[in-house]
Amino acid sequence: MKIYVKALGMHLKSELEYRVNFILSFLSQILVFFTYYFVILSLFTKFSHIKGFSLWEVLLCFSIIQFGFSFNEVFARGVDKFDELIIRGDFDLLLIRPRNILLQVLCSDSDFVKVSRIIQAIIVLILSIIHLDIQWNILKVFTLFLMLVSSCVIFFGIFLMAASYCFYTIQGLEVRNVFTDGGKQMAQYPIGVFQKGFVLFFTFIIPYAFVNYYPLLYLLGKKEQYYYGLSPLLVFLYLIPCIMMFYQGMKRYTSVGS
Amino acid sequence: MSFIEVKQISKTFRVAKKKSGLKEAIKSFFKREYLIVKAVEDVSFSIDEGEIVGYIGPNGAGKSTTIKILSGILNPDFGECKIAGMTPWKERVKYVKNIGVVFGQKSQLWWDIPAEDTFDLLRDIYEIPEEEYQSTKNDLIKKLNLEDIINIPVRQLSLGQRMRCEIAASLLHNPKILFLDEPTIGLDAVSKQLVRDFIKRLNHEKHTTIILTSHDMSDITTLAKRIILIGNGKVLYDGSLKKLKDQYETETTVYVKTKDKLDIRKKGILKKSKTKDGYQLLVQTKELSISKLLPLLSRKIEIEDIEIENESIDQIIVKLYEDYQI
Repeated sequence: MKIYVKALGMHLKSELEYRVNFILSFLSQILVFFTYYFVILSLFTKFSHIKGFSLWEVLLCFSIIQFGFSFNEVFARGVDKFDELIIRGDFDLLLIRPRNILLQVLCSDSDFVKVSRIIQAIIVLILSIIHLDIQWNILKVFTLFLMLVSSCVIFFGIFLMAASYCFYTIQGLEVRNVFTDGGKQMAQYPIGVFQKGFVLFFTFIIPYAFVNYYPLLYLLGKKEQYYYGLSPLLVFLYLIPCIMMFYQGMKRYTSVGS
Repeated sequence: MSFIEVKQISKTFRVAKKKSGLKEAIKSFFKREYLIVKAVEDVSFSIDEGEIVGYIGPNGAGKSTTIKILSGILNPDFGECKIAGMTPWKERVKYVKNIGVVFGQKSQLWWDIPAEDTFDLLRDIYEIPEEEYQSTKNDLIKKLNLEDIINIPVRQLSLGQRMRCEIAASLLHNPKILFLDEPTIGLDAVSKQLVRDFIKRLNHEKHTTIILTSHDMSDITTLAKRIILIGNGKVLYDGSLKKLKDQYETETTVYVKTKDKLDIRKKGILKKSKTKDGYQLLVQTKELSISKLLPLLSRKIEIEDIEIENESIDQIIVKLYEDYQI
């Protein structure tokens, strides 16, 4: 943990070496974020509801997914950019250090510009909570917390799974973006607004529904059963095969020529 | 049992066959043909503690693969390897504490920040006690002449300065074994000398076992007494450099500057030809050593100047490669 924090500090220091670039990128992220935001806003100028979900309900969902995604872009960038680590051959350097590989991968990269997105996600989250009329109780607060955490966990799992492919192909597959960026785009909306097939896919194959749909139903009072509120916990199980895949892939690692 | 014991390791890679041209690239995108490349085959050797071994061979001979196997990065398909009682790829975490690796073509330093920050991170990674860390670091700073460059972002350093920092970074935890993969690549004469002197001193003072690959033969001659030659993945020669030299360095050209007329006929002198201001002799050193030739010459003529041209080690290596057809 100490090493990870230290490495983060060093990444920050590296990024701050290019001060103007850092500030401009930080600001440009706000623009990018608002394009996502406007897509949703413009949708709701035509329709007041999408399958029973109002604007602020969708924005709540949106902010939670954005939060988890950006969180990983900042704190697990090394996993996200793992293909570059392999292609450059720098993965070799991790293997000669007496530390856990996954920890070192986490330490290998970070993108502090994306902190900008985390902040914006939190702002949208707070705004939507203010606008929504939620009957708060302790379990619902806990549910919201779980949703945020599981959002981070699920993207970490997906990044990790995508990283494992690199061991087999040396190159990051574009397929991974179906699950990461594509998945993110879909998961910004409550999964229930989609066709049944999608719902099943995002429940059982990549469990986005446990991050932003079932708990959301509980939070909004559309479902009363408490297990809807606790359903994000299932996402943690999803991590197990992801981590296993990563280590399985590592056994196949053949390095690149020097 | 030796400190480093390598027994019959083999490693093959599956390489996608690629032809040039966009059309071929697209074709290979859909259907790949693979080529099985034997990177190392049946490689065995043993190295004692405190030895410096030059590991040489042409490009693509399998040098880097061997280094990667020995440092636990790759696991071989077959074979055994025990280093300091451990198998590198099986007990990776425990094993790598004992080794330092410098890849001449890869940097372990963080690019945008001073080298000292990387050193600090390495201290935490290797869990080096603070006191030991400070004394090792100061020692390295002194010996490698790093005082002025350790606080400058690495990207602003020259190649020679960076390489010195790289070497320091790989030695902070006082490893027993140091792998140097082309440590002097691209360095100027002064930096090369500094690096060589340092490596020699390290081996002498700390008894560090050093395995060195390089294409610069003067690296090998100044540092290593023993060389292992590898070609096409196989060990072709393993022994002292001197023996190799004796075996291959059989002819020497001697230039003599003189005004006298030289009339010499002796077994061992293969050719005699007149030059502008003297003679040129081609001598077979096995038959007639230079030390025997000199008094012979001085008895016959007034020598103004004499020049003895040894075959350079590079030429020997070229011959060696030709002999083994690699």
